[in-house]
Amino acid sequence: MAESKKRINTDGLFRQNVVLMSGLVTAPIIVAATTLQRSLVLTISFFAVSYVSILLCRFISRKIVYTVRILLYTIVAAIMFIPTVIALRFLFPETTQEVMLYIELMVVNSLILAKTESRFYLEPYGKMSVDALIFIAGFAMVAFASGAVREILSYGTLFGFHVCEPIIPSAKSPFFGFILVGIFAAVCRAVVGRRVSSRKGRSE
Amino acid sequence: MSNIFARTISLIMVSVFTQNAIFDRAFGANVAIYASRKDSHVIGFSIGITVMTTLASMIAYLFDGLLLPLPYGDLFMPLVYVVIISLLYVIGLFILWRGFPKLYGKVKKYVHLAIFNCAVFGALFLNSTFGKGFAGYVGYGFGTGIGFFVACFLINIANEKLSSDKIPKIFRGYPIMMIYIGIISLAFNVLVGYTAEF
Repeated sequence: MAESKKRINTDGLFRQNVVLMSGLVTAPIIVAATTLQRSLVLTISFFAVSYVSILLCRFISRKIVYTVRILLYTIVAAIMFIPTVIALRFLFPETTQEVMLYIELMVVNSLILAKTESRFYLEPYGKMSVDALIFIAGFAMVAFASGAVREILSYGTLFGFHVCEPIIPSAKSPFFGFILVGIFAAVCRAVVGRRVSSRKGRSE
Repeated sequence: MSNIFARTISLIMVSVFTQNAIFDRAFGANVAIYASRKDSHVIGFSIGITVMTTLASMIAYLFDGLLLPLPYGDLFMPLVYVVIISLLYVIGLFILWRGFPKLYGKVKKYVHLAIFNCAVFGALFLNSTFGKGFAGYVGYGFGTGIGFFVACFLINIANEKLSSDKIPKIFRGYPIMMIYIGIISLAFNVLVGYTAEF
């Protein structure tokens, strides 16, 4: 019992991945995660805006009605956006400008608006901080996978280093992003299904 | 006058077809998938988003003109848009609560999904780039809502087939839906001969 309490819940990586399973945060991956550097910028901004907002908004009293709580969450995220973009513009000026629209949209991402109420704020603070971090890691995993595949296919590079000739230049287009996320989601389901059945087999 | 009308119509067409919120920018794709499960949701969400993008665009026009020319003004735009949409959200809820209590009871569980999503916010951010003048802002905002409806409708008509037993189990539902949206997105790109630069 004590062991199960201590075990970290890794649902956010695969079983409830925000991009592949619940589809809560898809737009940045589908349209903007076309290279590894863009994926890195998106991951940093997603972490800074969402994770910090989740940690801070925990202190907003649950006595406040739901309608107003949602507004406060987005306001906190919009405030977090300001230092995040200042830092990103200093570190990655060009890439930040390229994906700016999708960084701006992270203010209203469903991890803050939906998961906080349905999951994170039902957990103790410590457990919640780890759990939210794992959800961010799940996002990062998909962002980097998408960035790597699309960078190789469309530019023939990896983190800017030449690897091969571009194979499918249109891989950077949104339609390819949709299809790739669909395929990743199917693979993720297969992995989760296999893990569940092997766990069942062990327990029997 | 006719010039303004033509510009408004042209921006509506642009935001419905050329830069469809879902197929070209993936704004609110998750909301569209959720809304497309029921016919009533398609209509409800589309009305909510259209009203919100149109009204918010009108107000955003005033603030864009004031803030965007300032140095670092763009950093405050998300905060400004959140405040605009929050105010409209509260006013809308109040009107529903007082005027249409039955409808309020039905929609209060998911009304925030129709308001706080990437489609609404994305329309405001894109307006600062494409919506020239007040009429342009209104046209782009309204067109984004109509574009959302078109996308929802196209997803809705395929929903049943994409969830059927004929689809392999691991692809059933969400994964095949994404692939389907991808194919429609490709068709839209070919139709207009345009690709978003990202």
